[in-house]
This record gives sequence, C-alpha cells and structure tokens, in this order.
Amino acid sequence: MATSDLLILCAAGMLVSAYLMVGQKALIMAIRLYGFQSLLLGALAATIAVSASRPELFVTAAITIVLKAMLIPWFLMRLIDRIGIHREIEPFLNVPTSLLICLGLTVVGYRVSTGFPEGGQGVSHHLIGVALSMLLIGLFLMVTRKKAITQILALLTVENAVFLVAIGVTPGMPLVVELGIAFDVIVAVLLLGVLVRRIVDRFESMDVSRLSKLKG
Amino acid sequence: VIPMSLDVLRTSGLAVLQAAGLLALAPLLKTVIKKMKARLQNRQGPPLLQGYYDLAKLLRKEPVRSETASWVFVAGPRVYFGAALAATTLVPVLVAAAPLEMAGGILLLVGTLALGRFALATAALDTGSAFGGMGASRDMTIAALAEPALMLGLFTSALAAGSLNLGSLVRTLLQHGVTFHPSDLLAFAGLFIIVIAETGRIPVDNPATHLELTMIHEAMVLEYAGPDLALVEWASALKELLYLTLLVDLFMPAGIATSAAPVGLVVALVAWAGKVFLLAIAVTLTESTNAKLRLFRVPELVSISLGLAFLALAIRFL
Repeated sequence: MATSDLLILCAAGMLVSAYLMVGQKALIMAIRLYGFQSLLLGALAATIAVSASRPELFVTAAITIVLKAMLIPWFLMRLIDRIGIHREIEPFLNVPTSLLICLGLTVVGYRVSTGFPEGGQGVSHHLIGVALSMLLIGLFLMVTRKKAITQILALLTVENAVFLVAIGVTPGMPLVVELGIAFDVIVAVLLLGVLVRRIVDRFESMDVSRLSKLKG
Repeated sequence: VIPMSLDVLRTSGLAVLQAAGLLALAPLLKTVIKKMKARLQNRQGPPLLQGYYDLAKLLRKEPVRSETASWVFVAGPRVYFGAALAATTLVPVLVAAAPLEMAGGILLLVGTLALGRFALATAALDTGSAFGGMGASRDMTIAALAEPALMLGLFTSALAAGSLNLGSLVRTLLQHGVTFHPSDLLAFAGLFIIVIAETGRIPVDNPATHLELTMIHEAMVLEYAGPDLALVEWASALKELLYLTLLVDLFMPAGIATSAAPVGLVVALVAWAGKVFLLAIAVTLTESTNAKLRLFRVPELVSISLGLAFLALAIRFL
C-alpha cells in the first residue's frame, strides 16, 4: 500500500467517523468516535512524518494521540459520569434529515476543494475535500445539537478538520504554534466542561435551548 | 456443437461446485461467530460443528404445518433457499470469475436476493398468524432501505471498474492494482452496516432470542419447523457468507486466483478464508460492543448506510 493510499484511508476514516457522529444518538458512542477520529489524525501525521521525512510531525502525532485521542475523551466520559445526565443526544432535526444535509455539505466541501490550487487532484484534493466537509459537518452539528457536550464535540471536530489541512497540505506550522493550539484546545475543553457543569447545576439539564428561557 | 456443450457442462459443473462448497461452509461461519461471541463473554460456546448438528436434527424431524397454510407457505423456504443458492453462483470466490457471470451481474444478484426475501415474507403472511405478519412487515421495512443502500454501495465499485458484472469487476480491480479512493471506505462502511442489517445481527436484530417485542427475522420464520426451518436457517447462513464474500471481492480482492493453477487456487482459498474470518471478527466485535437498537431506531441506522453509500457514489464524481 502506497503512502498516498494510507493518507487517503485515514482521511476517509475521519470523514466516516464525522458522518457516524451525525447519525449517532448515544453520547458515549459520539465521544468514542471523536477519539477514533483523532487517532486517525495522529496516524496521518505520523505517516507524513515518515514519508516526507518531517520529524517535527512526530511531535504533532504524539500530541494529537495523547491529548485528543485519550485525554479529552477520558475527560468528557468522566464529565457525563459525574453529572449523570440522560445519555442520549436530542437533536433539533431528526437523523435522516441531518444525514441528507450533511451529504449536501460534503458534496459542497468536495466541490469547493477543487478551487484551491493544490486541491485539483491527487491526495491533497481528498485531504482538502475531507477537511472542508468535516468543517461544515462540525458547524452543522454545533447548530443542531441541544446538549452542551455534543456542541463541544462538534467544536473539536472542526478543530480536527483544520488540523488535517494544516498537517496534510501546508508545509507545516512552527512547533510553538502547534503547542499553543494544543494547549488552547485542552483549556477550551476544560473551561467548557466547567461551563457544562454550571449549566447542569443551574438548569438541571444540559439542553442549551433552555438558556434562553427566563428563570426566577 | 460439441465444444459448445462441453463449455456449458464445464460452467454448470463449476457453478454446482461453488454453490455446494459455500453451502457446506456456511453453517461453520455461523458457529464460528457464535463461538467467538461466547469467548468474548467468558463462555465456552458451542463446538465448531454445532451448526451442522442443528441442521441434521431439523432435517430429520417431520415438518409441522398449520392447517390453514397453503402452497405459498410450503414454497417460501424453498424459494428462499434456491434464491440464496443461485446468488452464490454470481459471485467470484476463489477465481476472479463467477461461474454464471454471463447470466448477469450486480442487478441480478440483488434481484435474486430480493426474490428470496419476497417469497419468505409472503409465506410468513400466509398462515395469518400475528407474528408472521409482524415479522414480515418489519423485515420489509428494513429491506426497503437496505436494498437501495446495497445497490448504491455495489455501484460505487462498479463505477470504479466500469462494469456491473462482478467477475469482470474483480478482474479490473486486480489489473489496476490497489489505488485507494475515499469512496471505497465510505462504501465499505455503508455495506458493512447493510451486512449487519441483512443478516439480522445485533444492533438491528438479535439472532439468539425470541423476544416478541424486538425480533424481526425470527418472528417471520416462527411458524416453521423441521426441514422447512432447516432450509431457512441454512439459506440465512449462506446469505451471510455470501455478503462477506462480496465485501472481500469488492474491497480486498488481492490474493484471488486469476487462472486455474492449483497453487494459485490454494493461495486463493487461504486468502479468502482469512479475509472472511477477519470480517467475521469485525461482525463479532460489532455484535459484542453494541446494544440492540430500539426497533424504531433501526431505519435510522440503515439510513446512515444509505447516506454513506450515496456519498461514496457522489464523491467519485467530484
């Protein structure tokens, strides 16, 4: 199997996991899917590190796998354990409709990727296409999900998509920037975790649509 | 005239051989999955030949049929079995050519399987029992979504190879070498869900229980006993093996023999068995790590696979 095949396999796997996240209703499964998606991103970074001999990408791969594939899913799992919420996602739209919309978003993402100079064909076409599709799917998830945790997962999916382009298509980011982003992500998840607990304390639910209601 | 008839003889001989071989191995696959599942739950599991013992036991018994049953009820399992058997001759297993590939390709395969399903569903309705009707209606609900997804998934590979014929499809895939496209993985994921749904595995149906609220396939065949039931069970096992073989053919054809040389055939046999076993492990893990879905959730799961298959097809054009 050639390197390009491996890269495309990882990217396609990320797209499939994003897509399953849309169709998934169990909260724990969605978190596992996110972990799996991050694992694939790490594998992709490691593959590029070997094939293009860019050793600095090993650091990226390590950070991605440790932080996003293990630490963040573990933290989120603990969070739902602690607040003991109803473990089902309740989207605003039903699953078939969401799937149809995400299908359209993927087509748009793929189509737009051809507009980039690198996105005409070959591996980077697929990498940019997958990343744009995941970005759009992530934004869609953020808008249509009621629970705060699923919105965090959507945000993280968007972040994975951006990372995919940064690793796969650009010549790379300085290590400082990368560490900064990694730190940002973990702080964001921690803060959002605290915020979720506050919301649950106050409203006895994670449903953010209740935030707009008045409470005496 | 003579070479022509020889050719026909050879083709039909190969078809019979392949159908018989798959038929003989199908109960083994079912038991292997059962055994692996049991091991994951710290149980011993049945002996590997249990599938054959069960079939032998059922075939020895006398068929018990309801007084109100008509010929439709009797014909159901036979058509179902015949359709599954016929479908096996359309799929390449060891050699990169299906025995009866001149008869048709993907469309005939899907159509043949649909014929079997139709026969079984009508037979379930025949006796007028509540369970039969319920099972048939549930099975058809899932099939109505699963069938287009199956077709779209198969079309994705057909589009890559430029042929709807499974034999020439596999040959083209072998010639081109492995060039991976994202749509391959999407189609694989979609088809895998279809395999789970069509073979009545856990997130969709539970093959091990007869719980009236949840059963689908089992409710449909609840009225059958003895040899009739044996035919249904055997055909279901055969269908499962057929679907896994189809996944092997379309997504990992490497290792399949291109000529009738004995060495190549042995390699192909080992490769095929290994790949089917890998897929069986994947099925087992899916069954063991998931909970059975509520019945009204099942169409959602199948619509995911429909979406994945459609996406796979769409990405090919972008």
